Amino acid sequence: MAEEHEHNQAAQGRDNAARQTDPGLNYLAGALKVSFVVLKIIMAVLVIFFLFSGVTTVGPGERAIVLWFGKIRGMGEARLLGPGLKLLLPYPIHEIVRIPVEKKVNLAVNSFWYYQKAGDEMGEPVDQKANAPPTLNPLTEGYCLVRGEKESPTAAASEGSDYNILHSRWVLTYQITDVERFYKNCFVDTSRLQAGQNYADVIKQSITPLLENLFADAVVTTMVNYTIEEAMFEKVSSVTEHVKDRLQKKLADIDSGIKVVSVQIRDITWPRQVSAAFEAALTATQAKQKTISEAKLYAEKTLNETAGPVAVELLAALHDASSDRLKQEPLWGQVAGKAQEKIADARGYRTQVVENTRANAEYLARILPEYRKHPKLVIQRIYQDAIEQVLRDADEKIVIQPAGHGKATEVRVLINRDPTIKPKSESEK
Amino acid sequence: MKNITITMFLVLLFVVLAMVFTMFQVRETESALVMTFGKATRQITEPGLYFKWPPPIEWVQKFDSRARVLEAELGETPTKGAVPIIVNTFIVWRIAEPLGFFNAVGTVSDAEAKLLSQISNTQNTVIGRHNFSEFVNSDPEKIRFEEIEQEMLAGIQKAVHADYGIEIRALGIRQLKISEDVSKDVFERMRAERNRRTGATIAEGNAAARKIVTDANSMQTELLAAAEARAKAIRAQGDAEAAQYYKLLEQDPQLAMFLRDIDALKKILEQRSTVVISADTEPFKLLRQMPDLKPKE
Repeated sequence: MAEEHEHNQAAQGRDNAARQTDPGLNYLAGALKVSFVVLKIIMAVLVIFFLFSGVTTVGPGERAIVLWFGKIRGMGEARLLGPGLKLLLPYPIHEIVRIPVEKKVNLAVNSFWYYQKAGDEMGEPVDQKANAPPTLNPLTEGYCLVRGEKESPTAAASEGSDYNILHSRWVLTYQITDVERFYKNCFVDTSRLQAGQNYADVIKQSITPLLENLFADAVVTTMVNYTIEEAMFEKVSSVTEHVKDRLQKKLADIDSGIKVVSVQIRDITWPRQVSAAFEAALTATQAKQKTISEAKLYAEKTLNETAGPVAVELLAALHDASSDRLKQEPLWGQVAGKAQEKIADARGYRTQVVENTRANAEYLARILPEYRKHPKLVIQRIYQDAIEQVLRDADEKIVIQPAGHGKATEVRVLINRDPTIKPKSESEK
Repeated sequence: MKNITITMFLVLLFVVLAMVFTMFQVRETESALVMTFGKATRQITEPGLYFKWPPPIEWVQKFDSRARVLEAELGETPTKGAVPIIVNTFIVWRIAEPLGFFNAVGTVSDAEAKLLSQISNTQNTVIGRHNFSEFVNSDPEKIRFEEIEQEMLAGIQKAVHADYGIEIRALGIRQLKISEDVSKDVFERMRAERNRRTGATIAEGNAAARKIVTDANSMQTELLAAAEARAKAIRAQGDAEAAQYYKLLEQDPQLAMFLRDIDALKKILEQRSTVVISADTEPFKLLRQMPDLKPKE
């Protein structure tokens, strides 16, 4: 035993001696030592990186949910994290899902528009009409069916299944408002994620097919309830509200957590194939409106000229059997135009007749004492004054000498209808 | 000391590997099946952390349980009255029972193929029970579009839920079209209808305008008549007021009438008049001879 121990010591001594003397071995031992230290440092860094990998942020306009071994952490409002720095445990214990909630996203839906070649969209509408095929290929042309007019003769003949075709382009604006519902129920294809992207980056791409389909369904089911006129002119806001409500209901039915912010019709038009007929009808509508406007203008002018701005009100009061005269008086006070002229003339007449009569009466009363004393003189004076005034005012005066001796005198005088107009021969002179 | 460190490292490594191979998590968006020697033995539909035996004894098959959309091809379908329509139906579906799904279809692409077939069957069956006029009708109360969609949804739900472990959450028609040949007839009808409306619109406009003008004239007549009546009343009132002065005139009616005549004469001959008068009239008799005047005694 003692011999063996001595033998080992001797061998170790030989190794040490060899190591001290062999530089290769020394170098290898040093390299291994350094590698081991480097490995330890790398491991320490990895451990630190792992421990701090849960420190993250939620950006402005985002909300986040944290999964604790796959299950949403927290209760009630605490399930949702707002913007700011978040200290979480490393994956796979905690996993954060960030979803933009304040961003309103626009989605153009062109599936109801007619086929256009690339670049045609910028072309003139006239060219579009000229290039329109005589029929619509259902595979390439987009359109909606809209109902016909209820009272239309063709509708009656076809048992009500009268319909028309309409092209439209839409813009849907949506927003994710319920993060948890959205995350749990809407398929987001994270396999599309590219380097540097996160969950939020592929949301729009992933949910666009779902939204396009639900939106198209809402448009199709809505448009069959409207006529062309209603959809294009008369009830545009009703159509968009109807589509919005239907889409919102469908999104709620699947617990999507998506809110429809707005629905807008970007373009809407009848088929190019029937443009001429529709434009003629539109022109007729404009002509009708013009004719009616002119008639209204005439009516307004006539009534204004007749009785002023209160004409209609006054007429209504006159027609109203329950309206007493006292209520009509303020309206008569505001009357203008021809009616007012008539009333003003009557008032003038009233003043004139009263004042004249009064003046005559006073005149008579004044001259009466003198007249009673010298009747002939007074009468003669008044008579002479009158004759003087009449002859002074007359444009032509003709004094005729009577024949005398009881003979009648025949006088023929050519008198102008208007004595101020001179005979032609006289004016030439 | 060095041996202890190495031992700890190895233990830690073992624990981590054991966790990796025996534990798994199911997210809120997923469901899972635990397969034991290739046979599905456990279905997991709730999120959380779960244990299993390490492979090759057990392994986990996960499924995405979120709603996804599937759109069928545009296809022509005859309605009850044999009028064909072209519809494009879509569904929103999700994997509800992973075990049933795995056993019946297995993968999403296989499921989609089966669902497309189901959509086509249901579409043909349901649409074949309804007239075209129930899709679009000039009387909105006769439109049954949404009811038809609900009928299709119920039909396809019934067909796939029990058999495939799939839940159909929504169904819709994204395109409702007519065949190309029919579109030509529709255009003809639209043109004819528009032309009829053009004529009717012009006639309506003229009639409405005439009515407005006639009404206005009638209102004018009424207003002027009312104004005339009122004016007459005012004039009568003036005449009545003037009557109070007649008493004064009654003091000498003859003189009063003379004065009235004189006034009338002046007014009548005030303008544009030609007066033919005898030379015997005062003062024209002065033209004939000198007056024979004598002082009054």
